[in-house]
Amino acid sequence: MKFNKDRNWLAKRAEQEDRHFISVGGLISRIDPEWQADVSSMPNVETTKTAFVRLLQLARRERRLSLEQLAQRADVDLGELVKIESDESFKPTPRTIHQLAEFLKLPAKKLMALAGLLKIKDFGLQQASVRFAARSEPVEDVSPEEHAAFEEYVKFLNEQ
Amino acid sequence: MREKIQIIDTQTGESVEAEIFDEVALAHFIETQAEWRPVVLAAARALSQQPNQGFLIPRHFHWDWTRKEAELKLLAVKFYGLAYEGKLQGIMKVETVAHSCRLPEQQGKPMVYIDYIESAPWNIKKLMAALGQPQRFRAVGTRLFEAAVLQSQEEGFRGRLGLHSLPGSEGFYINECGMTPVGRDPHKQNLLWCEFTPEQAERYLAGE
Repeated sequence: MKFNKDRNWLAKRAEQEDRHFISVGGLISRIDPEWQADVSSMPNVETTKTAFVRLLQLARRERRLSLEQLAQRADVDLGELVKIESDESFKPTPRTIHQLAEFLKLPAKKLMALAGLLKIKDFGLQQASVRFAARSEPVEDVSPEEHAAFEEYVKFLNEQ
Repeated sequence: MREKIQIIDTQTGESVEAEIFDEVALAHFIETQAEWRPVVLAAARALSQQPNQGFLIPRHFHWDWTRKEAELKLLAVKFYGLAYEGKLQGIMKVETVAHSCRLPEQQGKPMVYIDYIESAPWNIKKLMAALGQPQRFRAVGTRLFEAAVLQSQEEGFRGRLGLHSLPGSEGFYINECGMTPVGRDPHKQNLLWCEFTPEQAERYLAGE
């Protein structure tokens, strides 16, 4: 595509755009207050975030990867990865979750829900997350029980 | 498609390099929903409380973007994103099959239809003014609109383009872009159908 490179053209068009809204397509009559709540307050965030962090830690340890190696292979920011694993209140960016989902071969939408970026409407996912969070511990070695819990949870995420 | 383009940084007044691309993924939709929407809603509320603003709420304020994921795979639908340093600044959805030209001189001919176009709220001067905050980038919508015109030319539609303008945007598309207001569409909330002929598209791209 040959975009216009002329600065005067750009300045003129920017001036024009600033004077208006540019929306197209259709109108709605009101903003649903419940919808806003969907965006700002996710239910069960604490449990699913715990499950999300444990899942990430176990997936990394199963592959014997350091945080740095995972960041490199999944093409995500190392600092963000450190924050995800160390601070459960940290909100990761959608891109990072998307990249991690690709690398771990997990459904991006579910991983985003677990990370608190999407509202979880699936009761089964909530239950499975609670079970997984309860059965895994962030210790150095992956125990056989943790391995089994991890395998079961990954299977569940990929099944539905 | 991924190309470098210039937009304007309002803090410096200088143009900066951004990227426009058509590999839009679910992560971009989530980004608009999680990061743009709360700001947009706050600004929309502030605007609707101001007298004589007549602010109308665009349909996409209420879209569940995660449901739009399926449309990413449709051949007749294309999404464009515009990002600066990896952060999404604007997004647009165009269609190439669902609509055809309505102007008598080009009636029935294929066109690119803009179904949705939006800048991040911090790039919309009026929204930021309502929140008492500075605008971040300028010309984001302009670049997306330009991409739609260029796509029309590349598809062999010679720049023919159509859209249903919201009332608050009619001045932009008619007076600033030079589109022809064809008429109100009773099947689309009586919104104004606007159209580009090839000649008008050329004039827009040339800056006339």
